[in-house]
Amino acid sequence: MPNLPSLAVATIAIFALASPLAAAQKNGTLAQDFKLTDVNGKTVQLSQFRGKTVVLEWHNPGCPFVSKHYSSGNMQATQKAARQQGAVWLTINSGAQGKQGHMTGPEAKALIAKQKIQSTNYLLDGKGLVGKAYGAKTTPHMYIIDGSGTLVYQGGIDDKPTANTADIKDARNHVLAALNEIKSGEKVSVAQARPYGCSVKYAS
Amino acid sequence: MTFDFRIFSIMLAFLAFALAPAAVAQNRLGNTELNVPATLVAESQQVRPGQSVTLAFVMEPKPTWHGYWENPGDAGIGMSFDWKLPAGVTAGKPQFPVPDTLLISGIMNYVYKGDYAILVTLDLADNVRPGPLPVSVKSEWLSCTDEICVPEQDELSITLQVVGKDAPVSLDKRFNDFRAAMARPLGSEATFAVSDDRFRLSVPLPASVEIDDPYFFIKQDGVVDYGAPQKFSRDGDRLILETGARGDELDSITGILKIGDHIGFLLTATKGEVAMTGLPLANDGAKQQGSASILFLALGGALLGGLLLNLMPCVFPILSLKAMSLAKAGGSEAIVRRDALAYTAGVVLVATALGAILLGLRASGAAVGWAFQLQDPRIIFVLLALVTAIGLNLAGLFELPNLNFGNKLTRKDGAAGSFWTGALAAFVATPCTGPFMAAALGATIVLPPIAALVIFAGLGVGLALPFLLIAFVPAIRSRLPKPGPWLDGFRKAMAIPMFLTAIGLIWLLGRQIGTDALGLSLIFLLTVALILWWFGGGQIKGLSRGALTSAAMVAAIVGGILMLPGEEVMNSQKLANNSAATLPSEIFSETRLSELRASGQPVFAYFTADWCLTCKANEAAAIQRTETADAFKAARVAVLMGDWTRPDPDISRFLEQHGRAGVPLYLYYAPGQEPVILPQILTVATLTNLVNGPVQSAMIAKTQ
Repeated sequence: MPNLPSLAVATIAIFALASPLAAAQKNGTLAQDFKLTDVNGKTVQLSQFRGKTVVLEWHNPGCPFVSKHYSSGNMQATQKAARQQGAVWLTINSGAQGKQGHMTGPEAKALIAKQKIQSTNYLLDGKGLVGKAYGAKTTPHMYIIDGSGTLVYQGGIDDKPTANTADIKDARNHVLAALNEIKSGEKVSVAQARPYGCSVKYAS
Repeated sequence: MTFDFRIFSIMLAFLAFALAPAAVAQNRLGNTELNVPATLVAESQQVRPGQSVTLAFVMEPKPTWHGYWENPGDAGIGMSFDWKLPAGVTAGKPQFPVPDTLLISGIMNYVYKGDYAILVTLDLADNVRPGPLPVSVKSEWLSCTDEICVPEQDELSITLQVVGKDAPVSLDKRFNDFRAAMARPLGSEATFAVSDDRFRLSVPLPASVEIDDPYFFIKQDGVVDYGAPQKFSRDGDRLILETGARGDELDSITGILKIGDHIGFLLTATKGEVAMTGLPLANDGAKQQGSASILFLALGGALLGGLLLNLMPCVFPILSLKAMSLAKAGGSEAIVRRDALAYTAGVVLVATALGAILLGLRASGAAVGWAFQLQDPRIIFVLLALVTAIGLNLAGLFELPNLNFGNKLTRKDGAAGSFWTGALAAFVATPCTGPFMAAALGATIVLPPIAALVIFAGLGVGLALPFLLIAFVPAIRSRLPKPGPWLDGFRKAMAIPMFLTAIGLIWLLGRQIGTDALGLSLIFLLTVALILWWFGGGQIKGLSRGALTSAAMVAAIVGGILMLPGEEVMNSQKLANNSAATLPSEIFSETRLSELRASGQPVFAYFTADWCLTCKANEAAAIQRTETADAFKAARVAVLMGDWTRPDPDISRFLEQHGRAGVPLYLYYAPGQEPVILPQILTVATLTNLVNGPVQSAMIAKTQ
């Protein structure tokens, strides 16, 4: 039976490769570069922002947990604060066509205007390629990439995993905290937190 | 907008709920509108001061909707509870039933798809005054379909009645089902390790426990990659899991190990070394990959096992004599080969047929193992009659025209005779299946049915192998001793192992049906023997009594079967078998316990389960020991044993009353005193000191 364990390892390796979400990015490593189209049809590439801090936010307008942070204005305020610090904020929608929260460019533009979304770009990832490359599981799911292109934070927007707006005021906003630490040259103290919300509505 | 109106309305509804606190009240009134409505029920409306009452949140998801386990997995949210309780009342931790997995696009959700109930125990202080006891709780949970999620909440309330210490309390029977759906504490600690992005968990679980589609639900977030496939292997009394890791920050984790439909064990694991050893269990996608190697190994095991079966006392006589007949002088090569092939066909067919029946029984949900036929006294009785008849035949009491065990050397056996000899050998061989076959046969459980049948056939081929060798390798045949008058003596001697097998079967039958019923069965057996004697006597005189004999035999065996005792007697026999153990015990019941205590007898009560390794270890090391038995006997200690292998609501409740959610539990009731809860790890001294030394007051247990 000596070849059984190695066989088992080989099996696992194959499944690790085959699993669509196994390619999640690790903190401290170079974040996977990507190109996506924004609501105006313009191509946006992650590496073009090298030198700046970039925040990635996974979005689904139909998700009550996303609504919690938009109806309260919490997400817009965080976006504003980030951009005031000189950070880039990319909101990404990985909802597949026909699934909850999927949007076309014009629909997204209308939503941005209505909800006063403050992100730098709203990117459309209907095929879910970037979402899966980052292992984005929930909406919202947040990632922060520092100026050197290294992933320094991934997880939830805050530490109160509820859909209740009343919980926002007592929550620790992990993104704001990390951005402030990056700005003052400190190490991100909470680099990983549990993402919470609806599952990302991938095509498959 | 492409998203449909329903989603939009849900968004609006949410917005309204988020912005207007008044919506909460509406939610409460209209809770039938919820997608996963919750109802709060109590096990008993009446509760006594100083005691506890269990409440259930009965959750009834609408079709296509699901609720979440306390750790929701990759996405989703667990349930929250905000209690409003009168003074003197405290709520315990919510207990969730064993969840299901729901994998959508690689995102793992831990959910409940059908109706489920979450249990919470309320404890009442001694000073709570009799009267109405209003209890309310505000709860939030997430309800989802595969597509959308809606956070739901409700304010649930119930008014209980505090009654006097002696007032009757009636229990809601539904709670038995609710409790049966809960994971039960495993009772033994597991070990986990995280290295190179791999999470490994080693769980102590006896090798005999059956597992179907196992899954480990971890309670803590950030340790396991939920969506990664979980690969299990079994190494003796350990179940080992390997899956993807997320982080390595915890020293202790908890979770539910699911081993079947709604069967799960609560376990705690501490950090340690875990090696991936043992036989892999086929699971999910790994099934195809692992099957080929398991099949190969198991087939080898089955062949070897079959080969060794030839040496068993129940098979050897048949085979050795048959072999002699094959080697007989003047036998033509062709006939020898034809006989050997016919014999092999008989063996393989019966082995495969027994395997097919086993698989069929398993598929229908019966918990049976190999030699399952020996759990049925009717089959044991038939086997016993058969083995006795073969023994009598070998001893020369009678001859059989077709079923020839080598006695009539000059006779040309038909292929049919050889076939039936083979079939008989395979059937009679099963009681002797060596324990080493267990692993190979265990593999048949995880393999697809066709592959499993191949293994059973392999067992048959192994059993027939010596024969095939004798038939097809003339060199071996020429080395066999030449048949002669000595062979008649050899044949008669071979009756001895056959009768030994019969004695073994009598013992087995006696254990199942008790000595009274056994006596009756033996009378029928004697009838069978007498009929055969009469038949043999006829043969000597040249009379044909075949038809009459067959009829009489059938009548005797059917009579013997009909006279076997029913289920009830067998259960009481099981009880009697317990008393044959080193430390005899009675089946636990609260009634029996109070009877014994009222009679002033000291009582030792222990609670065990076949899947609990700690329990079994304690029983072997401390309980079932002569020292313990002698000490208990001298002190007239009554022993009660509660078996929790299957969820038993009475035992569950009793364990709960003693602050335990699971086995093992060891209690000692000295006459007229409060029970002592013994430590989880027992020694002989712990038990013997109970009756020899004074009871330590520090160990006195809290009782209800």
